[in-house]
Amino acid sequence: MISRRDVIRNLVISLGGSSLLSACGGRVTLQALAPDAGARFYGERELAVLSRVSDLLLPRTETPGALDVHVPALLDGLMAEWANAETRAQHRASLAALDEALGIRAGGDFLAAPDPVAERALAAVDADAFGGEPVEGYRDLKALVTQAYFATEGGAVDEQGWVAVPGRWDPCADR
Amino acid sequence: MADFDAIVVGSGMSGGWSAKELAERGLKVLVLERGPEIVPDRDYTDTIPPWERPNLDRVPEEEIERHYPKQYGGVAYAIKETTKHFWVKDDEHPYEEAEGTRYDWLRGYHTGGRSIMWSRQAYRLGPQDFEANEREGVGVDWPVRYEDIAPWYDHVERFAGIAGSAEGLAQLPDGVFQPAFALTCAEEEFKARVEAAFPGRNVIPARVAHITAATEEQRALGRSNCRVRDRCEHGCVFRAYFSSLNATLPAARRTGNLTLVHNAIVQSIDYDPGTARVTGVRVIDAVSKRTRTYTTRVLFLNASTIASAMILLQSASEAFPNGLANRSDQVGRNLMDHVSGAGASGLIAGFENRTVFGRRPGGIYIPRYANITEHDKPYLRGFGFQGGGTPVGAGGGVAGIGRAFKEAHRAPAPWRVSIGAFGEQLPHPDNRVTLHPSRRDSWGNPIAVFDVTYGDNERIMLAEARKDAIAMLEAAGCTDIRSAEVDLTPPGNRIHEMGSARMGRDPATSVLNGWCQAHDVANLFVTDGSFMASSACQNPSLTYMAFSARAANHAADLMAEGGL
Ligand SMILES: Cc1cc2nc3c(=O)[nH]c(=O)nc-3n(C[C@H](O)[C@H](O)[C@H](O)COP(=O)(O)OP(=O)(O)OC[C@H]3O[C@@H](n4cnc5c(N)ncnc54)[C@H](O)[C@@H]3O)c2cc1C
Repeated sequence: MISRRDVIRNLVISLGGSSLLSACGGRVTLQALAPDAGARFYGERELAVLSRVSDLLLPRTETPGALDVHVPALLDGLMAEWANAETRAQHRASLAALDEALGIRAGGDFLAAPDPVAERALAAVDADAFGGEPVEGYRDLKALVTQAYFATEGGAVDEQGWVAVPGRWDPCADR
Repeated sequence: MADFDAIVVGSGMSGGWSAKELAERGLKVLVLERGPEIVPDRDYTDTIPPWERPNLDRVPEEEIERHYPKQYGGVAYAIKETTKHFWVKDDEHPYEEAEGTRYDWLRGYHTGGRSIMWSRQAYRLGPQDFEANEREGVGVDWPVRYEDIAPWYDHVERFAGIAGSAEGLAQLPDGVFQPAFALTCAEEEFKARVEAAFPGRNVIPARVAHITAATEEQRALGRSNCRVRDRCEHGCVFRAYFSSLNATLPAARRTGNLTLVHNAIVQSIDYDPGTARVTGVRVIDAVSKRTRTYTTRVLFLNASTIASAMILLQSASEAFPNGLANRSDQVGRNLMDHVSGAGASGLIAGFENRTVFGRRPGGIYIPRYANITEHDKPYLRGFGFQGGGTPVGAGGGVAGIGRAFKEAHRAPAPWRVSIGAFGEQLPHPDNRVTLHPSRRDSWGNPIAVFDVTYGDNERIMLAEARKDAIAMLEAAGCTDIRSAEVDLTPPGNRIHEMGSARMGRDPATSVLNGWCQAHDVANLFVTDGSFMASSACQNPSLTYMAFSARAANHAADLMAEGGL
């Protein structure tokens, strides 16, 4: 188990170092996301779409964002190690469907869209998904990105205030 | 001379108790455990933080298909990448089900058995549970009554550590409790409204085998208070929850009278027709496959309900052609579990700005009221509800993106109360486990074949339980009430299998007497769930513990008197 954990940690580090989107340029730095930077499952475009979507869903605020804690790398490992062929195919199909839907709403290539346009496109897809017309697989993908985010140290501790050893039970605390 | 005064087969929930009590009475005890040794420092995974658990702690899907289809199919919530080593691999431990039936045999083979993985809900049976068979003409009468076992419940609770509240309910007797985990604000509200609307029903804190005010005795064993981490399925470095590994086996070991042998699969029991006594057990080593015999003066079967019945069936001889101690032909029959698959949940308003701190081990319990305080039921016996009321986490399942979406996860949240029924299953002789006539496992032992189905009583009961659940949520003012159609859990799925060597008064219709002692073989005791003559609806392990302790002390008394 230890060695597997190390493998993942290394992957997270190796991918994380190179998978940051340029924060203010409005354009995704595609070269930095190339599979030879360490991705085992995602193709170049898949990783770029997932990265941008993760960033838009869970941006850096006062606490780390999805990219700060390397959510795309985590999902890359998950798909490479955990998923079976059927799940992988479904996941790929969801990402492709999302890419396409985002492109339509962005009026062109989602990855090339300026930040405000990309954000509006994702907001529209999201609103449709919760309004009863979901892009196939979008809600599951969103839940997975969120779950992965909260499973990281940044997501769990910094954002959620998770404590390893609560030590006491308060059944009715102030929020 | 025998190798040991006593042999205990199985180191799990009940075997740990048999071993502790026998060893503390000064007997030289050998515990034979078929699985490998669990070493807490090496094998507990409770201190690994979420971000170090591989792949969101999910077991690779292909690995599940190959090794854990049954186990995962039954308890997906418990089988994680960091807990899978506590579960058997189905391909190594196969079994069969009769055509058209399903049976979930969910288990782990290692030191401590399933006491490592259990959910620790711990309730006494009540007087009604020991009387119902006789009153209703179902199965056989229990040869004991609540008063017989009450002091032994005290005994095991004091040692194990049970967090619970004294409620004064006749059907769910109070015990020796440490402080309970208090109800959440939503649960308090739910309790007040349900109890007002249904005067015969109660909502109480779950009773759980967790230390909340460690005693001297518990501290001396290296145990301390529960830290409210919700990591129990991974083991517990604080030894705060009761397991054989955390509590009874260390207590047995410190007497100097315990020998514990791992990888020792008991295949059969040697019986001497001349003395009408068991003389020892035959064992095959799980790894080397070498066989050997250990001899003993008294034998305790604690291999769990299914495995103990199989060992008896595997021990047929001229004197007992149907299996050892099986003149009644009841070994393997009357298999029971609890039945779930009915419940409901609903939102309860008014606590949006409140939350909880800590991750407690149990929520609420609604003790059985059917045919106790309410008598208009179209079924026999009844059910208890387990559940809880906590804030609903957004979990990625809410609309929105960006900062607003992120912050929705810590925003004021609604609270949801959920309750699910655990119902009693009536004993029926046709619900049984038998030995496969030809198929053998890797150690040459016959594999189990299950043929277990529910009857009308269980089906009608659960349909009513669903209606009751909805009615209680409505009475509590809940909104957005959700309740799936009743879908009975497969037999075995509640992991409370019992009854395969029932106790009774008549040797012609039961296997054991009221001391868990075989009618036919005086130095043979079976004190895992096999002895249960009815299932009641409470989680059963505390009862196995109490009967094991009582039987062990009885056996020690008999040995001291020269009666064995
Ligand atoms: C996920 C889960 C949740 C549960 N929750 C609860 C709960 O909340 N409350 C409750 O009361 N109960 C609960 N249970 C049930 C509880 O775990 C069992 O009732 C209890 O462990 C049974 O005790 P036992 O001694 O009969 O068997 P076990 O604890 O299973 O121990 C049997 C031991 O015998 C060994 N063995 C088997 N065959 C042989 C052989 N041939 N030779 C040698 N050794 C052998 C096994 O390896 C094992 O170690 C739960 C169980 C699970 C898995």
